[in-house]
Amino acid sequence: MNTEKRSSSMSRHQLIHAFLPTIPQLPLTNKLFGGNSVTPPLSMIALNRMAFGPSPEAIDEFNALGANDDARLLAYIEQQLNPFSSVNNSEYSARLAEANFLTINKTRQQLWQQHYRHDGEYSYKTLALREVERLLFIRAVYNKRQLIEVLADFWHNHFNVYAWSMSQIAALFMQYDRDVIRGHMLGNFREMLTAVAQSTEMLYYLDNQTSSAAGPNENWARELFELHTLGAENYLGVMRQNDVPLDNENRPIGYVDDDVYEATRCFTGWTVANKDTGPGGDTGLFLYRADWHDRFQKTILGNFISADQPAMKDGHDVLDFVAYHPGTARHIARKLCRRLVSDYPPQSLVDSTAAVFIAQQNAPDQLKRVVRHILQSNEFKTTWGEKVKRPFEAIVSAMRATNADFTIKYDDSDSNSFMWRYDQMGQAPFAWHAPDGYPDTKEHWQNSSSLVMRWRMVNWLVDKKDEQDQYRLNILGQTPGNLNTATGLVDYWIDRILGYSMSADDRQLIIDFMAQESGPLEALDMSNKKVQDRLRSMVGLILNSPQFQLR
Amino acid sequence: MPKMTRRGFLVGCSASIAAMAGARINQVVFADPGTAVNSDVLITVFLRGGCDALNLLPPIAGADRGHYVSARPELYVPNSGQGAALALNGQFGLHPSAGGLYDLFQDQKLAIVQAVGLHEDTRSHFDAMTYMELGTPGSKSSTTGWLTRHLQTSSAAGTHPLMPAVAANSLPQQSLVGNSNTTTMTDPDQFNLNVGPYSWREQHKSTLEQLYSANSSDLHEAGQQAIDVINAVDFGDFDNYQPGNGAVYPDNSFGRRLKMIAYLVKLDLGLQVANVDLGGWDTHDNQGDGSSGYFSDQVETLSQGLTAFYADLDGCNGTTHNKKVTVAVMSEFGRRLRENDDGGTDHGHGGMMMVLGQNVNGGLYGNWPGLATAQLYDNADLAVTTDFRRVLSEILVKRLGNNNLDQIFPSYTGYTPMNIVNGSSGVITPPQYGAHNVFLPMVANNSGGC
Repeated sequence: MNTEKRSSSMSRHQLIHAFLPTIPQLPLTNKLFGGNSVTPPLSMIALNRMAFGPSPEAIDEFNALGANDDARLLAYIEQQLNPFSSVNNSEYSARLAEANFLTINKTRQQLWQQHYRHDGEYSYKTLALREVERLLFIRAVYNKRQLIEVLADFWHNHFNVYAWSMSQIAALFMQYDRDVIRGHMLGNFREMLTAVAQSTEMLYYLDNQTSSAAGPNENWARELFELHTLGAENYLGVMRQNDVPLDNENRPIGYVDDDVYEATRCFTGWTVANKDTGPGGDTGLFLYRADWHDRFQKTILGNFISADQPAMKDGHDVLDFVAYHPGTARHIARKLCRRLVSDYPPQSLVDSTAAVFIAQQNAPDQLKRVVRHILQSNEFKTTWGEKVKRPFEAIVSAMRATNADFTIKYDDSDSNSFMWRYDQMGQAPFAWHAPDGYPDTKEHWQNSSSLVMRWRMVNWLVDKKDEQDQYRLNILGQTPGNLNTATGLVDYWIDRILGYSMSADDRQLIIDFMAQESGPLEALDMSNKKVQDRLRSMVGLILNSPQFQLR
Repeated sequence: MPKMTRRGFLVGCSASIAAMAGARINQVVFADPGTAVNSDVLITVFLRGGCDALNLLPPIAGADRGHYVSARPELYVPNSGQGAALALNGQFGLHPSAGGLYDLFQDQKLAIVQAVGLHEDTRSHFDAMTYMELGTPGSKSSTTGWLTRHLQTSSAAGTHPLMPAVAANSLPQQSLVGNSNTTTMTDPDQFNLNVGPYSWREQHKSTLEQLYSANSSDLHEAGQQAIDVINAVDFGDFDNYQPGNGAVYPDNSFGRRLKMIAYLVKLDLGLQVANVDLGGWDTHDNQGDGSSGYFSDQVETLSQGLTAFYADLDGCNGTTHNKKVTVAVMSEFGRRLRENDDGGTDHGHGGMMMVLGQNVNGGLYGNWPGLATAQLYDNADLAVTTDFRRVLSEILVKRLGNNNLDQIFPSYTGYTPMNIVNGSSGVITPPQYGAHNVFLPMVANNSGGC
């Protein structure tokens, strides 16, 4: 190929940049929070971005991990990245036992045969999805291995499957969460790709289960390139493969439509054993159909694949090419940094993270090392408030900050109310239709509907559960008995919820609310039910404040 | 008092808004009535599941009637006697439960486009809906929906309305994906802060308003907007809303959501687009006979809902909201010509669209491809002779004043209007901006409640 013809005055480096789409940058119109905001202590940064927010116990446990902030953070990262030995996670276990999920340990084949093939109620057919939606909340609120929950959320969105789109997917979804996402998210990316590519859920969602030499379907192959690996940032559009510039190791710098079509051919015959649609039994498991496979030669990302390779070798070759392409390392690195650090992470951090991704590409714990690199970076420690909580983070962090005693389970009326209200917030679990997953930048979440719905949810949580004066959050019981002034109560709960000071103006507004007609330092009658309600509403105000929405 | 922020939220200049100003909503700028231009509020109604267009608008005569009846021995709509199709012309009739739509058609306010849809080869609900709503057939990769791109490229872009887009749903439909300023609302009575410890709700809300007025970050501004929307919606008192002209909406979620949209149109908060869904069209089994049963009930809900919506907005103290409202009804595909063994129909291809409004040239549109086997798509389904984007493009250009079809439907070329709606094909004159002289797709003045 001759790239010089195209533009002889450009260096190779310039040329590469001229071809590739630009990376999204901070929009010029975006106004940062700014003003009189204060940077919180490192414990709060860690617990808000490696976890779903601080709880009193989590803060204590973090602070006990070392003599200074740096030592504590390093110890916390290792604690969170590795299986627990010394941490007492018994409350989480007890709540899992209480919820008693029927499908939690079922295999793919059991879910297919016992649920998907179930002849009765649709709710039993889709029980796995209904249960995993609620399990998600128990885990996020109570599992002390919080980083796992943050990463599961990330990888579910990265390999997004709209779980309600087909009953085959809903019936099996517990298994997608457990084996495909959680089973690989601290492991090796290339192995994770195989698990996703051969998962019944993805095979249905992106239509590869119907793809044959006679009737190919390109959905899976396209999203594999565009979303799961190289990303749109490495897409060169409609261009012939031979015209794609090469990098300094003679690899094409990105992909074109022809790579997608060739990859589609490679994955023909990757399907599911379903008696309704073909041979191979009725297990719901991955099935390779040689009679559907396009057996002839292909070319992908500059690599030649010869005709008549052994079974499934074509598809595995594609997964090799995309998993080890440097564009994939940059794309995954950028997305992980966006999740863990800021909406528009610095290029230097993205580059160093991508370098770890590439250097460890054969390591069984590649993804763990990549995450560790980001969390140990200076950028992680020094960045605050450049992300706005999504609805899930807002509600889970509110429940953690207030020590909510609420096991969200199946077939329980208060849990049903919780889920109904939560779903109004615009981030229902596993319900994003498109394969790109819920957006991860604040422009999508700081809008009027999103705020109204989170304010409503918080106010519902702090309120009475029933007429017998049962409360979902025990605000009164957790307020120290010696506090009875508006200032004392507000300062206690600000510190408790935010872990750092609130701007003076905001604090004053909340003190004024708590005091009402009394003075800020005047003793309130804490036995008065109206004052107790005001206390609950005041805690709701802190949870509803602009400052609580930041990560 | 809240501090003034960088700019106010744009609202209309209706009497109801004027009554709220200052006391109820704080951060608004009023549109100048003199600048009202020819741009409608667009309401899209999506029939989820694949509406059986062949039974909603069956052939009633000729060779296709024979093909239709023989392919649907249990399901066909009779063409005479009890429960007969309502003839629109010598060839086609509406389902007998669509009496309201029939009347609108006779009044020439309803256009029906036949054999319309996607040219893509898919019978997947998910694929077809995604292709249509993103406005990018064949690709599911767009991060913006077609309505999002309309809002981004319309001449109203940048005017900062209080409530430009409403999704009558808990998640915005895919046509509004990527639009950060969509209000998702299923019920105005749920869009408020009437939750939490009862005695302190008002004070809680006013403290929140002050907390979100203390700064001008995007987050703070969204909070101020949220409070203004809550107050404006609350002021309208939806609970006691009386639809115009005695319109009666069906007593189900579709009816309530249409009623909510009519109410929001009248509130005049800067509405440009609104989406509402009617689900339940995936009639694989027990569809009913040709005149009654499940499908018939669905059609009745649709017909009553649209009829009530049109009546509600049609004439109010000497004005007509319908002059500024266009409704587009669509579905992801039609259904198989041949009925199945379960008394239903399977996923098909060509379907129908409807366009409703005072600026609609009522009538039947589109080339009818015929129902002989050789005329069918894949020997099984009604073929597609009109791209759904052609119908939407005409509304965009003539009713919404947006000529940027290359951005809204990027791979669609060769648009020519079918003359379904009135309006100039040219670009609408860009609005003149001034301190209090701003553009808005305004509905006519009204006083609240009618």
